[in-house]
Amino acid sequence: MFKYKGYRGTLLRVDLSKNKLTKTPLPIELAELYIGGTGFCARILWDEVGPQTDPLGPENRLIFATGPLTGTFFPPSGRFVIAAKSPLTGIWGEAHCGGHWGPELKYAGYDLIILQGCARKPVYLNINDSSVELRDAAHLWNMNTRETTEAIRAELKDDTVEVACIGQAGERKVKFASVICDFYHAAGRSGMGAVMGSKNVKAVAVRGSGDVEVADPEGFLKVAEEAYEKVTVEWREVCEGSLGKYGTPNLVTAINEIGRLPTKNHLTGFYDNAEAIGGHILRDRYRVSRQSCLSCGIQCKYISYINNGLYKGTLTGGPEYESIMALGSNCFNEDVEAIIHANLLCNLYGLDTISTGKVISFAMECYANGIVAKRETGIDLSWGNPIGIVELIHRIAKREGFGNILADGVRAAAKCIGKGAERYAMHVKGLEISGQDGRAQQSVALTHAIGCRGADHLRSLSSLEELGFTQTLATRFGEEYVQGLQNLHSTQHKGLLVKDMEDLYAIVDSLLLCKYGTMWPPIYYFDDIAKLLPPLTGMKRYADISNIRMTAERICTLRRAFNVREGLTRSDDCLPERFLKEPMPNGPAKGMVAELEPMLEEYYQLRGWDSKTGWIPRAVLKKFGLSDVADELERLGKLP
Amino acid sequence: MPREVLLIDAEKCTGCRACELICSLCHVARFNPRRSRIRILRDYKRGEAVPTICRQCEKPACAQACPTKAIIRNQKTGAMLIDLDRCTKCEACISACQFRGVTVDPVTKYPIKCDLCGGNPICVRFCARGSIKLAFT
Repeated sequence: MFKYKGYRGTLLRVDLSKNKLTKTPLPIELAELYIGGTGFCARILWDEVGPQTDPLGPENRLIFATGPLTGTFFPPSGRFVIAAKSPLTGIWGEAHCGGHWGPELKYAGYDLIILQGCARKPVYLNINDSSVELRDAAHLWNMNTRETTEAIRAELKDDTVEVACIGQAGERKVKFASVICDFYHAAGRSGMGAVMGSKNVKAVAVRGSGDVEVADPEGFLKVAEEAYEKVTVEWREVCEGSLGKYGTPNLVTAINEIGRLPTKNHLTGFYDNAEAIGGHILRDRYRVSRQSCLSCGIQCKYISYINNGLYKGTLTGGPEYESIMALGSNCFNEDVEAIIHANLLCNLYGLDTISTGKVISFAMECYANGIVAKRETGIDLSWGNPIGIVELIHRIAKREGFGNILADGVRAAAKCIGKGAERYAMHVKGLEISGQDGRAQQSVALTHAIGCRGADHLRSLSSLEELGFTQTLATRFGEEYVQGLQNLHSTQHKGLLVKDMEDLYAIVDSLLLCKYGTMWPPIYYFDDIAKLLPPLTGMKRYADISNIRMTAERICTLRRAFNVREGLTRSDDCLPERFLKEPMPNGPAKGMVAELEPMLEEYYQLRGWDSKTGWIPRAVLKKFGLSDVADELERLGKLP
Repeated sequence: MPREVLLIDAEKCTGCRACELICSLCHVARFNPRRSRIRILRDYKRGEAVPTICRQCEKPACAQACPTKAIIRNQKTGAMLIDLDRCTKCEACISACQFRGVTVDPVTKYPIKCDLCGGNPICVRFCARGSIKLAFT
């Protein structure tokens, strides 16, 4: 019996090369020091993967991790994380996913799975409580994610099996291939699907019938009930009125209103036709039902269907805000049905919608500027051409023609194309930029620049000043900080804000909780987690907020250390020139550029990192109990 | 005789399964959807969710099928309850119910079904969509 509740106490390791499956007790200190989810992954990837590891080679690890909240009632949990060294960026990679798969893994008896090695032929991992086996997947190869999920459920004669699988994109190691769970839930970013494909693993199927226990059921119910009240009553206006009614697409027009909706490959942050691809149209014309991840009080998921026209019969989950942005405004595409269909294709092939949209918009800008022509692309890539977008998705997933160049991501594609194409490659550290623009909201510039997996919103984005949660700013930072913090265009205190968000999300991503309820609306903070962790796990020391913050910083520092070991320095914490030098041409943020330097300085100072190199001093590592990490970095000459 | 049962509006159900989790917590002090008395069958591809629960039938097929007469109506709540002292785990009740209102607890192997939580069903309280109601039929 594991010392703490909330965990199942078992780690499943699958060595695919040796066809060996091992169940070992979850190390107690892993739970104590890293809680779960991204924390688990940080420690394991540090210990087992290094600069010598080829992301698509057998030595890379692919970790599927849950946290102590996974599988409980607490809203909105029900998530898990997949982590590996990313083939897209060559650094820290992680992708989170909602739905029901993560909880099912817990019910089956495992806190996490580590896949290593490479199977000689295609296989899928089949977990049914204590019974675990690798099954032949030759007949599943070349199937899309929908066909794969249905085929596995038919083969196992059980429609309740939760399936996480790759489509053709992952098989072909498209470097931004995703892993898809239950048809429409995506662990999208940083190419986890490509890592799975490189290991010849088509899917992980899970059924479980075991208990997830909590340390104090009555105490936990009380905390969960309070949480449920916050989500469904106190924050009802955002949770139900916006996220529930429209889902994330409601953000399209809201974000356009602050001039931060990526348009034409980040040329601008304002899109004239935002209404045409926004939440109202999607709800009124295409939504067929509202859905939910496990035990979520918010329930932002929905299913869309197109019943006539060119894309007749398209049935898909979403599209979510980021997909609408990437495949819509970002490509100057106002055809909402083409967006829904493109979203379906990404789900079927197993492609990250953000990176897919961004490599297409990159190609479109190159096309518009004469860097690539139709004889090379084979497709008319004029801005906003929906037919071109859809066709290019097919070719990227199949690595055909020009699609094969884009399938390696925007950084590699720009290098391959040359002729100054780098200018249009919108990425940080190799990860295509998510749906924000640092010129319109300065904290976003910092968030994108320092993101441990690259230009990412989910590790530290603040909605507090973006969506006007002024009271929350005052409560968390003090009245004297509010004026600077709430000004979207000011850099003042933004290092503090982003560092605080990154710390909070490190815990959120370890428990695991959703960003809805933590990022937007900002319901839970460290004090809520301090009330939650002791009755959940029995770890009494986490009733003290300072211990939670310590763990948060430990996780952030270790992920940074992983990247430092891979060769990252301060010069990688940057943005494409477009954000720093090209003033926003129109919209509410007209004339603004991102002023990264002062925010970076503040951020490094608060983290205690060396501002010249971006490396982590020994004293900082030691403070978080990471002296072994300091020793290794010192051996590599990477201590400041 | 009119009696109180749980009525579920399947149209409103989003398949979040919070009811399953709160049901299992309140009955066995653990989270385990397969030990819940209310069950949601999901078809996420089409965006459908079908809740299943005991209807506390006027002429309950489960009670009629039970060889040891272990399923008895509670006079206070009107719920059909299983007397575990008499139950032989033969599962005849499970086969008899056409509504999938009785399932097997995967841990104890006893049949389980909705007991209306003694008259105040917890799932009603925690259904965010308000799709579960206790009502007279």
